[in-house]
Amino acid sequence: MTDATTPSSVPAMTPLSGKGSLLVQDARTRKRNAAEKRFKAYGVVAISIGMLMLIILVFNIISRGTGAFQQTFVTLEVPLLAEKLDKKGNRDPNDLRKVSTFGYAPLLRTAFEDKIAQNGIETELSPKAMAGILSAGAPAQLRDFVLADPSMIGTTQQFEFLASSRVDGYLKGRVSRDSIANDKNISAEQLDFVDKLIEGGSIEKRFNLAFIIGADSSDARPEAAGMGVSMIGSFFMMLVVLALALPIGVAASIYLEEFAPKNWLTDIIEVNISNLAAVPSIVFGILGLAVFINYMHLPTSAPLVGGLVLTLMTLPTIIISTRASLKAVPPSIRDAALGVGASKMQSVFHHVLPLAAPGILTGTIIGLAQALGETAPLLLIGMVGFIASNPPDSIASGLLDPNSAMPAQIYEWAKRADPAFYERAWGGIIILLVFLITMNTIAVILRRRFERRW
Amino acid sequence: MNDMRILERDVDANAIKIAAKGVQVYYGDTHAIKDVDVDIQDKTVTAFIGPSGCGKSTFLRCLNRMNDTIDVARVEGDIRIDGEDIYDKAVDPVQLRAKVGMVFQKPNPFPKSIFDNVAYGPRIHGLAKNKSDLDDIVERALRRAAIWNEVKDRLAAPGTGLSGGQQQRLCIARAVATEPEVLLMDEPCSALDPIATAQVEELIDELRQNYSVVIVTHSMQQAARVSQKTAFFHLGNLVEYGETGQIFTNPEDPRTESYITGRIG
Repeated sequence: MTDATTPSSVPAMTPLSGKGSLLVQDARTRKRNAAEKRFKAYGVVAISIGMLMLIILVFNIISRGTGAFQQTFVTLEVPLLAEKLDKKGNRDPNDLRKVSTFGYAPLLRTAFEDKIAQNGIETELSPKAMAGILSAGAPAQLRDFVLADPSMIGTTQQFEFLASSRVDGYLKGRVSRDSIANDKNISAEQLDFVDKLIEGGSIEKRFNLAFIIGADSSDARPEAAGMGVSMIGSFFMMLVVLALALPIGVAASIYLEEFAPKNWLTDIIEVNISNLAAVPSIVFGILGLAVFINYMHLPTSAPLVGGLVLTLMTLPTIIISTRASLKAVPPSIRDAALGVGASKMQSVFHHVLPLAAPGILTGTIIGLAQALGETAPLLLIGMVGFIASNPPDSIASGLLDPNSAMPAQIYEWAKRADPAFYERAWGGIIILLVFLITMNTIAVILRRRFERRW
Repeated sequence: MNDMRILERDVDANAIKIAAKGVQVYYGDTHAIKDVDVDIQDKTVTAFIGPSGCGKSTFLRCLNRMNDTIDVARVEGDIRIDGEDIYDKAVDPVQLRAKVGMVFQKPNPFPKSIFDNVAYGPRIHGLAKNKSDLDDIVERALRRAAIWNEVKDRLAAPGTGLSGGQQQRLCIARAVATEPEVLLMDEPCSALDPIATAQVEELIDELRQNYSVVIVTHSMQQAARVSQKTAFFHLGNLVEYGETGQIFTNPEDPRTESYITGRIG
């Protein structure tokens, strides 16, 4: 105590007795600081690993997937010979329809013969082998054109045909002369022919809108496969999920959080909701199969059923996030409302819900995004392995007609043998990710906007 | 404080507004309020004092049934306002709370505009026939709460943007806007600085003209300054209840004396 009463007698730099100088770290402090530094280093390492993985993932997806957005097209002038297409010469649509796609194949051969004559290309290929560089869908494309406008018969029109997936792969570097050694679909001579056509400007690779808006195709024509129809399938499923999961989820959480008595029953419900959120999605799929399809006889492969299954799956997510955001509203707001004589419901709807809305919205969008990317339950209700060739023409058919969904479509492509489909699977992942990122961005923006209000 | 002022304060013998008899409150297994009898007079400021956790806030919340919102709380006994049992099955707590307004410890304006904060009560109770009526009610309430001059130019601004003292006065304006008969205040000045406290205290004294005010406070000086009657709670018991002057100068119970002289609590 005497030290404390006479501080002026102590020289400034002399260490205080027992504690040592502040300018020198003691052993304990050094140890503590070292531990803190180590912990920070672990954190930096963990984040670096995460970032590295993310970069690898994004790089992989982009490098493999961007190819799907480009497609090789062959430009040809095709003489629409009347003697092949309209033997009777009366332009009767019913007679025209009798000519199948096989009837159009010779026109393509003729077109190629004209091409080599014009450009002076020397090749030993048969006209049939030359036409082999086109997609198998090329005659059908011709036929659709003629049937749409029979007056074109007799003229020569310029067409752009999809090149076959092997030729497309050749232009994208996926297919080489070595890799096709055992490939019956294409020969080295055909590739030589392709090279000459590229020189002549008849073959070029460019952006392919059909991949984004088109329908899936059969195994034989990967070059024609697109995401569009399955995107519509996903859209209708999301519509069902939003229309069901949001009101049910929000109503359930408001009741549980604000009105329900706290007793063993609500405790059990609460625990089970949390458990449901962790149930593997395939379980919801088999439940959907058993209940919606086998018992309720709803149509197989329909987005309606997919939406119902995904609703079941999304509900726990929405309920949990909604309850969390209701809980986060300060109780003083509820007290204030009750204190001026508002009823319970008025206090919830006038004051609590508006404050919780950003959180509810975010939870809902995250839940939707999760549902959008979900594949497993769709496997069980038949939304995989099915090729919807046409987009639905009405809301009812959009809900009830068989369709696929984006992740199911990606899975479908990934399991097909042709490497051209593999590329499209990656391309599909890019589209799906764009959707997910967009949704999450909307969630963030909405949350910011609502929060900034006060 | 000024003891002379306390002694000389006249206490009107007003009619009894709230009569509580044998009130017991349980929080689960905890017996929070033990057999409290108290008569609160009309047009009088009654202060509840006592150490933390003594049950004064709990008892206050019984008077407008705010304890109903706490699941584990259970209230027994008899509380009558103007002779009517407020815990009667026929009583709707919402109607009761329109009659018995409340101001909370922490200023809790709604995250809405100043105008909407005050107008909310009159709106849900249908007190205003039209827009200009509502404007009048809001202005009157804000004037009564002595905050009109500070906010009249920014009624559309958010209530949460005001300072702490202004927020608390806004909350008082919100409470008086519904024309209650009793105003309960749960430590209304605990979050305020001395200047804002003085303003609120002045306000409480004015409110006495129209309302019966019950105020819970930790500050004995505040109780002495604003109240005519004081009740001292300790460990869930109402130890002593009487005129403020008497409680502070000549308490009957030794526990009261210990508390106001700073030996317990």
